[in-house]
Amino acid sequence: MTVPLLAVHELEYRYPGGVVALRDLHLQIRKGQKLAILGANGSGKTTLLLHLNGTFRPTHGEIRLDGQPVSYARQALNDWRRRVGLVLQEPDDQLFAATVEQDISFGPLNLGLSAAETRERVQEALEALRIAHLAQRATHTLSFGQKKRAAIAGIVAMRPEVLVLDEPTAGLDPHGVTHLLGVLRQLHEAGATLVFSTHDVELAYTWADEVAIFHEGAVRIQGETTAVLSNRELLHQARLRPPLLLEVAQVLGVDRESLPRTREALLEIATRYSLLANP
Amino acid sequence: MRAIDHHAWTNRWRDRHPLEKLLPAFTLLLLTLFLPPLTTGPLVLIGMALATVWGAGVPVRAFVSVMTIPAAFLLAGAPFLAISVNFVDGFSVQLAPAGGWLALETTVRALAAVSCLAFLTLTTPLTDWAPLLRRLGTPASVVELMLLMYRLIFVFAERALTGQQAQAARLGYARFDRSLHSTGLLAGNLFQRALDRAQRLERGLAARGYTGELRVLTPERPLSWPHLATVMTLVGGIGLLGGLLREWL
Repeated sequence: MTVPLLAVHELEYRYPGGVVALRDLHLQIRKGQKLAILGANGSGKTTLLLHLNGTFRPTHGEIRLDGQPVSYARQALNDWRRRVGLVLQEPDDQLFAATVEQDISFGPLNLGLSAAETRERVQEALEALRIAHLAQRATHTLSFGQKKRAAIAGIVAMRPEVLVLDEPTAGLDPHGVTHLLGVLRQLHEAGATLVFSTHDVELAYTWADEVAIFHEGAVRIQGETTAVLSNRELLHQARLRPPLLLEVAQVLGVDRESLPRTREALLEIATRYSLLANP
Repeated sequence: MRAIDHHAWTNRWRDRHPLEKLLPAFTLLLLTLFLPPLTTGPLVLIGMALATVWGAGVPVRAFVSVMTIPAAFLLAGAPFLAISVNFVDGFSVQLAPAGGWLALETTVRALAAVSCLAFLTLTTPLTDWAPLLRRLGTPASVVELMLLMYRLIFVFAERALTGQQAQAARLGYARFDRSLHSTGLLAGNLFQRALDRAQRLERGLAARGYTGELRVLTPERPLSWPHLATVMTLVGGIGLLGGLLREWL
């Protein structure tokens, strides 16, 4: 088995007050995968994600990058954050500059790139997120969905190997979600490794190739999406429900190989069954 | 404030080099201070109004509303310039000799000066001044702080507004005493949020390699010499006319 790109080993984190937020947590992120971290609200997902780029330092256990335990020295930390880009849930926590273009330029300039290279990166990120038309807009005049895309562009412009997104679809309307997922698909095809946290099992089911079920500060299980999301009992314990797509397909008796991963696929199967019942 | 900001970001001269706006406005400001105000003042006022409305395409209403508040202060204060108070024998108030002229000149001069500032605020967003301030030698941290405040004002203004609406929905402002109480709670809450937000913003910036300096790309705005020359000629014309008219009248 290859060494995971990023691995969390026996992680424990206590808040300064002494409250334990995470304990004995294990997680592997492999190159090129799409991993969903599934957990109910307040289960500590954000705290975990803040460990993945070194914002928080574990009180026990360690994080390994390419198999090597990470260092929290400044240079090492900069290098780590260049490779692992974290997008916070609330875009206003990230956007600070006056215009979208200026905000996106912040990361590349911190990497020490020249103005010309930075401009190129900004353009590339604007296009990847399909927001080139917003480049000169004032940040505070954007809608929530637009802010979210601008915040993601700010990280994409740094060309991270791993893109970690905290609840990327929270607060977006259905159109915004479709748009965002399209963007993420392209980034993934371009070679990015994607990790996102969510409490939306449907999203995890249609999107991720692996899921990690998170409950009470630990990852209960990490594995192939369909296998993990078929485990009703485990999901119930984590205060989650199996995805409707999967449940309906299982009721219809669809075999494991042809389980539908999208609404359209399920509707197609349902149509076939309905034709069988009422020819 | 939101309206001013909106026009500053969307007017036709938004992408002009800031110097093309600063230089004429500043020169006109100096002209109003040093040339005879009664002729120069109105010319400057008209010039700036035209530049704002006709040149930059900002609605007249916006220009007028920016001028209203300072104008109201000026008009309220002007009468006091025209009178003199005498404490020598008892107390008496009388019209000062040439007081009327003084009041008129001061008001016209001040209005003209305010119009120059109105032009600048309505055509140039605050952030466009940052590169200029840096070049003038303002410490980087002061400029950064200014830009951060500008960004966060809007975040907090929105919080304050929604917070107040939520309080009002629960009758927080139904009586005077409740209003005071609600305002206090809101202020305390905003303070707490400001601290919380500062911490979260720091995390967000750290994720993007923040090391203590907020560097961003400055937009490339070529300085248009023909435009600047045209504008400055007009400014010169206003100055000349202001001076000459005084001689003729």
